[in-house]
This record gives sequence, C-alpha cells and structure tokens, in this order.
Amino acid sequence: MSNERVPTGASVAEFRQRAKVAIEDVRLQEALEGATGRFRTARELALAELPGAPALRDHLKEIRAATLAALAGHLERFEANAQAAGAHVHWARDAAEAREIVTEIARTHGVSLATKSKSMATEEIALNEALQAAGVEPVETDLGEWIIQLAEEPPYHIIAPAIHKTRDQVAALFEAEQGAPLPSDDIPVLTEQARRRLRQRFLAAGMGISGGNIAVAETGSVVLVTNEGNGRMVTSLPPVHVAVIGIEKVAPTWEAAAAWLALLARSATGQPLSIYTSVITGPARPEDADGPEEVHIVLLDNGRSRLPGTNYEEVLQCIRCGACVNICPVYREAGGHAYGSPYSGPIGAVISPLLFGLEAYGGLPHASSLCGACLDVCPVRIDLPRMLLDLRADEVETGLTSRPEQMIEGAAAFILDHERLLAAVRGTLSRLQIPVVAEGRLRIPESLNPAGKRQLPALAEKSFHQLWAEGIGDVDPADEPADNHGKR
Amino acid sequence: MTSARDEILGRLHERPVNGEDQLPPPWQSRRQFPDLAARFEEALTAAKGEVKRVADLPAALEEIGRLLSSLDAERVVINGAPAPLDEVTWEERFPGCRWHIAGQSEGALRAFCAEADVGISSADAALAETGSIVVQSGPGRSRLATLLPPVHIALVPGERLTADLFTWVAGRGEAEFPANLVLISGPSKTADIEQTLAIGVHGPKRLIVILYGGKQPHFTIGQ
Repeated sequence: MSNERVPTGASVAEFRQRAKVAIEDVRLQEALEGATGRFRTARELALAELPGAPALRDHLKEIRAATLAALAGHLERFEANAQAAGAHVHWARDAAEAREIVTEIARTHGVSLATKSKSMATEEIALNEALQAAGVEPVETDLGEWIIQLAEEPPYHIIAPAIHKTRDQVAALFEAEQGAPLPSDDIPVLTEQARRRLRQRFLAAGMGISGGNIAVAETGSVVLVTNEGNGRMVTSLPPVHVAVIGIEKVAPTWEAAAAWLALLARSATGQPLSIYTSVITGPARPEDADGPEEVHIVLLDNGRSRLPGTNYEEVLQCIRCGACVNICPVYREAGGHAYGSPYSGPIGAVISPLLFGLEAYGGLPHASSLCGACLDVCPVRIDLPRMLLDLRADEVETGLTSRPEQMIEGAAAFILDHERLLAAVRGTLSRLQIPVVAEGRLRIPESLNPAGKRQLPALAEKSFHQLWAEGIGDVDPADEPADNHGKR
Repeated sequence: MTSARDEILGRLHERPVNGEDQLPPPWQSRRQFPDLAARFEEALTAAKGEVKRVADLPAALEEIGRLLSSLDAERVVINGAPAPLDEVTWEERFPGCRWHIAGQSEGALRAFCAEADVGISSADAALAETGSIVVQSGPGRSRLATLLPPVHIALVPGERLTADLFTWVAGRGEAEFPANLVLISGPSKTADIEQTLAIGVHGPKRLIVILYGGKQPHFTIGQ
C-alpha cells in the first residue's frame, strides 16, 4: 500500500533539497508563477469590488477571535443543534482516533467504495490509507485531488492540489486509470473523462466523505464550499455522509458565517462566492425527496486544543483560503512538496510544526524571508511572520537546533554577556577585517551575494562603548559615514 | 477513562484563547443596487451562467418551452415546490417530454435524474451581488434534480431577489434550516488542469435562470 501521502516532515536539509528540485524545473516554475499570479490578481480585483472590504476583514478577525475565546461553548452548542437535526457527532483527540471513527462507520454499513470531496482535514489525518487498510476504496472526486490520488502524491497547494501537473501528465494518468488511450490531452476532453469516470463512482458509493469549511453552531449546520459540484454529489447521493472538521472551524451564528463566506472565496480564488455553497443540517428529513439517511460529523482536535494560551493561538483563526500561499515568495519558488506536509506555504510552515511536531518540521520556520506579505493578504490578518520567529525561538529553547549552531549561539551569548571580552573580540575582529574592507563595507563573497545587493558595514573604528567613555557628545555626526547604518 | 469529548472540551474550558469573547454586532450590508435584477444578471453571467429576464410567469413558461425544444429535451425532472412550480401542469403544457415531478411521479427519482436531460427548480431566494440562487431541500424538492442533469433551469420570481449574503441572512431571521440548502452561483466549473477554466466537470454544464416579474427590466425582451 502506498504511504506517499502521509505527512513526511521537513528538516532544513530536506526542505532545501526538495526546493532545489522544484527550482531547477523550468516548467514547474512557470506553472507555479502562472497559477499563484492568477490567484493573486483575482483576489485583488474581488476585494477591490467589495465595499468596505478592509473593515469586513477586521470584522471577521473580531468574530474569529471572539469565537475562539469561548470555543468550548460554541462547540457544545454546535453539537447539540447538529444532534437535534439528526446528525451523529463524534470527537477525535488525534488522527488515529479520527481514522478509527470513520473506518468504523464504513465497516458498520458494509461500505466498499467511498467518494470524497476535497478535504484538508482528511489529508491531515491520512484517512485514505486507513480506509484502504480497512478494505474501503476511497475515491477523490475533486478533479485536482483525483489527479494527485492517481499520481500517488500529496496536494501541491491547499486549494489547487494539482497545479504542478501539466495536461499531458494528466492525460497519461487518466489513460492508465481507464486502461485505454484518450483521443487527446485537450482540457475539455480530460474534464469530460473525469465527469464520466467519476459519475459512475458517485452513483455506486456507499459513503460520502467531506471536510467542512464552517460549522455553524446556531443551527448545527456544516457549510461546504466547492466549484465542481463534487461536494454536492458526495453529500447527496450515498446513504451515509461523513464530514471531518477541525474544532476551530466554528461560526457561532449565521451572521458570522456570512462574513466568513463573503471573504473566503474572494481571498482564495477571487470568486465572489464559490459555485456551490452547500449547507447541510442533519440527514434527509422523512418527507424529503432524496438525500443521505445518516450524517456523521467528526470534530477533529489533533493538537488544536493545545494552542490556546500559547503564542500560537491566533493561528486557529485561519479560514484556509490559501491567500498567504499564493503571495509567498518562498512557496512560489520552492513549491508545495518542499514542505513535506499537506499544508504548505506560510500557513503550512506554522501549523505543520504545531500539529505534527517541531522535531519533524524544523525546516519550515526557516522557509521564510519574513517579508510579511502573508500578513498583508490574510483575510483575518494572522501574524504568521511573528509565529515563524517564535517557532525558531522554540527550536533554540528546546535544543532542536544543530550542534554547531548551538555552539555558535552559546559562544555569542557568552561574549555579549561579558563586556571586557566583547571589547577584546571586537578589537581583534576590527583588525582582522582590514583585508576585506572596501569603502567602509565588508566585501561579501559572490557566492553569498549573487545579486550583489547585500551590504554589510565594516566594524567602526571605535565602538559605542569607547565613544561613550570618551564623551559621545563630542562626535560630530557629519564625520560619520552617511550609509553606515546596517542597511540590509 | 475520559471521553475524547470531555478531554477536548475540558482543555478548552481550562485554557481559553485570550481576548474578548463577545461577538461584534452583525455586519451591515454596504450594497445598494438600484436594480437588483440587473446586478444579478451581471454577476451570474460573469460566472458563465445564463439569465433570461421576462415580464411574467406566462412569458417565463414560453421561455421554458423554447429552451426544452432547443435542447431536444426528452426527459425532464422537476421539483414540485416551491411556487410557482406547483401552479403549472407540466405534462399537459409540454407533452413532448417525459416528466418526473419530485414528490408526485411514480418510479425511481434517482435513476430518472441520472438519465434526465434537464432539471428544473425554483429558488427560495436569489442574491443579486453574487448571482446566486438559494435552493432548499424538502417535500417535493429533489437535490439530484439540480445536480445530475447536464442542464439546470431555475424559474425564479424577481421579488425573491435580495442584495447579498448579509441581507439574505437577516431576512431569514429565525427560519429553520432544511436538511440541505445550496447557494448556486453558476454552472459547475474547475480550473484544476493548468489553471484553465473548464465548465461542467461534475454538476450541470449549463445553469439558466429565468427571472420573471418583480421590478421590470429596462429593456424589452425580443421574442
């Protein structure tokens, strides 16, 4: 059985190695820049067209913060209302428990085929592998997810899982799937092929599995957003529907859910709303014409409830739109697989270590230039750059950094802590630097400074301590080199 | 042994996220469209949906007749509710098609939907801003009728138009949610292969909304 889709981790070396592969692939670089560029432009246009968009973002931020400050109560209310509507509500402490709940439901109903709509929560818990082991064939039905399922790869992007695949690669996968050639690799032909092949599965499946974009406490409803209609298929055709949702995805009221929906698709794909926004409130009622007989909702913790009260609680506000991924200069070069996690980009760099462990994902807090673009575009203004720094600090504090790095940091801390030692080291360094100083700056080797844009000022002739001792007021500022201000 | 539920809720109760737990007052829509139908048409058309604006129900039914014949529709599934769907005797009016009326016709609804050429519904509301129709489940209302056939026609009275999500939520008030409610804002689409837009991947390939009555269009519809 393939184990390819399980979160694999990302050390600094692993991230670099995988990023290098992506950077050297010219076609992949074009695809990445094309896709993320289109998303960025569409998002900007959509928000520009929405009156009061910045204020609405602040409003949603307030809603998310206030909801999380009383999350337990909202979850209890969601559970009670979902149960009143006839849904079964399950709680899962971790991935293993969530997998067990879903496979048990499948077993109880004798399910051999389950159709799935795109769900990051089920990627997070590696549900497909567990279903296969339990004798259930899981079929991804979002076109992009189906492509990567056939390719046995993890998603490349949280909202566009197959952006790295070209049409000829997709055609090859589809030909292998049906065991016969296709007339061409034109996109309409490929789309029709997916429609035809997956339609059979939709009709045959004994269980439908989805994620959930929002859980509305007020009515016990699960909101599911899709463009293709596969979300509707999966939740309407099979007799059993199972939705796996992270516990942080609660909206207390419909007013809150409306603000959330007004920003979700605009921030993600630049659509004012996705094509289908499904609201599922329990199983079909006895008088309904059709619909599932059973609805199960799995509320997934998997590390989330450990975050309140820490430096990382704000990350629970995330609505998974992917805007930070599209804007990130590191993601756009390194690609989604470098992160070794279903969650890539800046949000992935923060939540992967938090959900799956900093030991395995130590490379991700460093996979950022801290440029702050992710904070600018986040619909709920989550301070991801600050959290990346906090994760780096955690690495140091918990002894996760490499031995040489620890020694250098230890030595630096010791020197900075001892004034006379610092003065001696400074004096030595200011003499040693003489051969590499030019015009008041250190000459940086070209290998470290490929674009020639980095500047590092030389150590000043006299330290601040010396100047202070000599009477700093006597220094005429005009004597100082104008550009000697540590310009980075 | 503590249950997962008690353990998760216990941890959250013990250590809540810092900050204010009072929700802000509801967002007030800033949308003011002089002509809701015009905005609806513009938005849905931008999402590759089609809008036909006609004066009244008889004109809307004529439009449906034209569509059914141009589509060569043989099998048509239609919801029995809400109004005006229950005000028309469809088999009599369009005897050229085989009809399945959800909640009324004999035989398997699901199998009929899977083979149908056209599905017809109404909408409980329509959102002008995003060109969305709101379709609810219930007695005589099939989810599959608006999902499985390649063409979805929605017959929508203009007075059900509202500005946007916020005015819709406010207008619903305390109304109970049905088991299934869907906001449909265009035909099924994907851009998953090379970011190229493709229409009709799983759901209907065409969404045609016939908007009738309400505020009159500023122009005359040609026959």
